[in-house]
Amino acid sequence: MSAAVQPAGDAPVTVPLLELRGISKEFPGVRALDDVSFAVWPGEVHMLLGENGAGKSSLMKVLCGADSADSGEFYHKGDKVRVSSTADAQKLGIAVIFQEFSLVPYLDIGQNIFLGREPSGRIPGTIDRRRILRDARRILDSIGFNIDPSILVEKLGVAQQQMVEIAKAISQNARILVMDEPTAALSDRETELLFALIARLKADGVAIIYISHRMAEVFALGDRITVLRDGRRIDELRPADASPDQLVRMMVGRTVDMSYPRHFAETPGKVLLEVRRLAAASGISDIDLEVRAGEIVGLCGLAGSGRTEVVRAIFGADKVTAGEIIFDGQQTSGGPDQAARRGIALIPENRKSEGLAPLRSVADNLVVSALRKLFPSHLFDPRRAQRVADGLVKQLRIATPTSRQMVGLLSGGNQQKVVIGKWLATGAKLFIFDEPTRGIDVGAKSEIFALIDRLVADGAAALMISSEQAEICHVCDRAYVMREGRIAGQLSRSELTEENIVRLGMHHA
Amino acid sequence: MREAITSLPGNPLQRIPGVAVTLVLLVAVFGSVAPGFLSPANITNVLVQSTVLMMLALPMTLIIMTEGLDLSMGAVLTFTSLVVAIVSLATGSMLLGLGAAILAGAVFGTVNGWLVATLGIPPFVATLGTLGTAQGLSLIISDGQSVVGIPHSVRDIYSATVAGVPVPVVIALVSYAAFHILLYHTRFGTYIFALGGNREALKYAGLASNRLLIAVYATGGMMAGVAGLLMTARMNSGHPTAGLGLEFDAIAAVAVGGTSFERGNGWLFGTALGVIAVGVLRNGLNLMALPSSIQVASVGLLVIVALFFDGLRSRS
Repeated sequence: MSAAVQPAGDAPVTVPLLELRGISKEFPGVRALDDVSFAVWPGEVHMLLGENGAGKSSLMKVLCGADSADSGEFYHKGDKVRVSSTADAQKLGIAVIFQEFSLVPYLDIGQNIFLGREPSGRIPGTIDRRRILRDARRILDSIGFNIDPSILVEKLGVAQQQMVEIAKAISQNARILVMDEPTAALSDRETELLFALIARLKADGVAIIYISHRMAEVFALGDRITVLRDGRRIDELRPADASPDQLVRMMVGRTVDMSYPRHFAETPGKVLLEVRRLAAASGISDIDLEVRAGEIVGLCGLAGSGRTEVVRAIFGADKVTAGEIIFDGQQTSGGPDQAARRGIALIPENRKSEGLAPLRSVADNLVVSALRKLFPSHLFDPRRAQRVADGLVKQLRIATPTSRQMVGLLSGGNQQKVVIGKWLATGAKLFIFDEPTRGIDVGAKSEIFALIDRLVADGAAALMISSEQAEICHVCDRAYVMREGRIAGQLSRSELTEENIVRLGMHHA
Repeated sequence: MREAITSLPGNPLQRIPGVAVTLVLLVAVFGSVAPGFLSPANITNVLVQSTVLMMLALPMTLIIMTEGLDLSMGAVLTFTSLVVAIVSLATGSMLLGLGAAILAGAVFGTVNGWLVATLGIPPFVATLGTLGTAQGLSLIISDGQSVVGIPHSVRDIYSATVAGVPVPVVIALVSYAAFHILLYHTRFGTYIFALGGNREALKYAGLASNRLLIAVYATGGMMAGVAGLLMTARMNSGHPTAGLGLEFDAIAAVAVGGTSFERGNGWLFGTALGVIAVGVLRNGLNLMALPSSIQVASVGLLVIVALFFDGLRSRS
């Protein structure tokens, strides 16, 4: 570990500015961080690399004191310290710039920068707003951001808010700056400004921890790279000693249970869904894809790449601005109710809030979407509803004492089956799954996949979003990979590997 | 990044808030149809009558800015005005009456804040509960009767003037100034914007948002105490239904004034204009001898009209 980067004009640095040793953090059912050790030296950019769910966010929360680790130690300039609150972290000069900003919309830029640290005014009890503006202007100037600090944050674009966040961190005299995908919302010009700022901070001896999904950035900015996977530190290396392919290989290979069955059809059926040059107000564009009967098609990409937006547009939940959606030979338009009536089912990621009425019974939830079909006379027949629900409970093997049980009391896997059953009752032909196995334990996962497999074997089609690339590779016939609101490429069954998915989903150097 | 800033909405016509348009329209309409509306005596009357509402609408603005609501304000005002009457009657002291009323209001406000902040009960439900409690307690302490025979020192508050300005108006102006300083020039006020706009930001700044929230509701209770004095002075008695429905007028004034119920977007001067608009409306309808049931309906209509202008503005 030769300290190649030294702060200018100082004696050689022999201890890291901040070091974490053996950090572990467990959430119910998930080992978010497992014995992670990690160090930053002054004046260097330390890149943190990993897939969705690799533990980057958990590590950030521990770093800034928002979450405390179950075990492990912090060392600041070689001294052991405790970080159990955000105040502790601030005292050590740690500042985090989250992706969701910590800004108040109807305060001005200056007030936001000094929130909680307002200088007192001459009249006791008041704050000195003129001084806030003056100091804010000085800080904004120092990071090359030319803006009037009396403008409300509400009026700013995302990139400008990002700069205010950075100014806020600088104003706290941060010596360790954590940035979470800071360029995700920036244009090229703004990115250049940010990189210039990072260079200046480095020269000042600030240590920067930088989370990125973009290979080009990793190699352009990084002095050191740490790769995380499954909450574990896989390796720490220097950019000069690494290649993009090598990093990708380190990131993939998450341990996932592969025992779920899949019966691939010899020849896929007719095209059920065809999407042509689709664009939507939510920020996706040029989406071309098709799904055939009997197929499970994967839709992958990093979180925020536009996967959910694509399925929302297909389902009519977001406004489509261009292109066409052809379902079952007919061009579709209109809202979710239209899509549902034509036979498109969306099984959302947040089952509890979007897919189920958790306080109602299993039976109520199973028939609610099919009321129009089951009772064309508009009169509700409880016995018929009960019969249909009981049939679905048996067919889907939903583990519940009776169909009168409250849905909220079932396990995650069984709740998911109820959501699927609800759409089955309507006679849906295309099932769109958004993260179908999130929050479901391993045993139930294979049951869900067996169920999806049976659905498509019976002539339905499935489009599946998943961040679990191993799952996609295992169950899908084909997959589309998204990047920044567009389809970056398509992978056939034989090309479908985790490495290929990650390669397509990331910016390559 | 500069370009984006210079492209802010610059058309000054678009910046005229709905409440100002509404107020001008109201004055113009009543000035031409309501007899005696524009006479100096009546204008003074409108202002004096608006002072009780101002006492409630100022803190209501802060509460709504935290994405909250206080439905109990009218009932708490009833209670505090009875406290003023009973205490001043027993002690002969206006100031003791006022002090007791502020204290009683503060207790109700703190309870509201505690229910909302600490127990996490939705403000609508929590303050509906205290509304019932305050109303019931008012009936108990007054035995359902008006409290009469209160000292002159209380009644004089309403009729006295300072340099020709009626004392209630002076109290309202001082209160407005105090709230302006509080909201725009103190830490507490700054954090009120964050309570509604982004509570996480307070957490990362190491501030206890629960305590701030309780303080906001407590402020509302204390102002209901001050309003209680004005109310008792105006009626020359304590009455067990004195504040009935005033929370509706207060919320209406805040909404008319352009404060949003979301994200901490508040405007104190708008609230002041909203209070006067409500006062002008009620006074004008009175002069035209229309029944009070019409007044309630028109205040509701006023909210819709003002928000309509704001909606037009933000869409264009």
